[in-house]
Amino acid sequence: MPNDIRPAEATREKFAEFAVTRDAVLRDELVTAHLGLAHQLARRFANRGEPYDDLVQVASMAIVKSVDRFDPGRGVEFSTFATRTVIGELKRHLRDKGWAVRAPRRIQELYLELGHTISTLSQDLGRSPTVAELAKAAGAPEEAVLEALEAGQGYRTSSIDVPDRQEETLASRIGGEDARYAGVDDRSVLAPAVAKLGPREQAILRLRFVDGLTQSDIAARIGVSQMHVSRLLAASLERLREAFAEEE
Amino acid sequence: MTEMPATEMPATRFPKEIAPWDVIELTIPVRTDLVVLARLTAATLASRVGFDVEEIEDLRLAVEELCLSLVRNGDDGRLRLRYTREGDDGIAIACTFEAAPGRGLRELPVDDLSIRILDALVDEHGRSSEGGHKRAWLRKRRSRTVA
Repeated sequence: MPNDIRPAEATREKFAEFAVTRDAVLRDELVTAHLGLAHQLARRFANRGEPYDDLVQVASMAIVKSVDRFDPGRGVEFSTFATRTVIGELKRHLRDKGWAVRAPRRIQELYLELGHTISTLSQDLGRSPTVAELAKAAGAPEEAVLEALEAGQGYRTSSIDVPDRQEETLASRIGGEDARYAGVDDRSVLAPAVAKLGPREQAILRLRFVDGLTQSDIAARIGVSQMHVSRLLAASLERLREAFAEEE
Repeated sequence: MTEMPATEMPATRFPKEIAPWDVIELTIPVRTDLVVLARLTAATLASRVGFDVEEIEDLRLAVEELCLSLVRNGDDGRLRLRYTREGDDGIAIACTFEAAPGRGLRELPVDDLSIRILDALVDEHGRSSEGGHKRAWLRKRRSRTVA
């Protein structure tokens, strides 16, 4: 079911209500209703060297932040606001963790240096630096900075001189699997799927994606190892993905 | 997925200021490993216009999305990109998909997610057709004021 069939007015009303009450149950409902958007956007950022599950976690956390920070009085649709937030978080995640392993060493080294330089310059300038400013600070040509930044976002074929580029059509990036997520009504599919999970799995999902706890925090809270939390989360997400797939 | 009404790219805001060196044209086969050229061209031009790093990253994503929005699995052909520097703070990019000879142009419903992503990343965007080819365009302006 396309997202635009979702009763937008009802969603707006719920956000208006949440803005006043900050009701936890309503918050859960709003988060759950938009987790499909997190999956869709994570899919767009897949194949960049970061596990898909991690991207989904980052995107889901961004949905939680979006629900908490959304101001329905500003006249912007929640999906627009959330998309901006999720993309921003995914970009930051890839910048920090999504290292382009296939980039040439000189680009890797430059990118690592740029990471520090970007932070320092951003603080000094009070804004994001320009490429010219970065190049000057790093003592590198602007072209090299541009290529390093390209590689830093972990694009699948991040550098022009990637040795093992694949014969892949562009459209295959957005092929069948993407359509699988695009045609799903988030609430009607996800909520029942979550309900089928065990109480502990549901609790872990809530702690991770609604309350925003880290896996280690969850592990400490429920008395198991972080690795076990990771496995339970992965298994739960897999079952949710299967629920998506069954709706095709 | 919905059909989106065609939206012609409005005339540039600085028609008299566009010089030949303000326009870059690039044609690439529809292949993932070559979209890097579309992104790097956009990033290079954006850098010349003075976009900051965040804005350049947004533009990279938007260019890729622009290309993705025109093709789907099994399509074969070329993407023709035209980058135009607009004034001293903006860039317009138009991307046209030209199907390979003998490959008919298939109707392509617009992906809602593509629209949302472009909404989030650029100032303006739209779609139209040009000479029977599918075309998508975007505009993005620098937010920072250069002293």
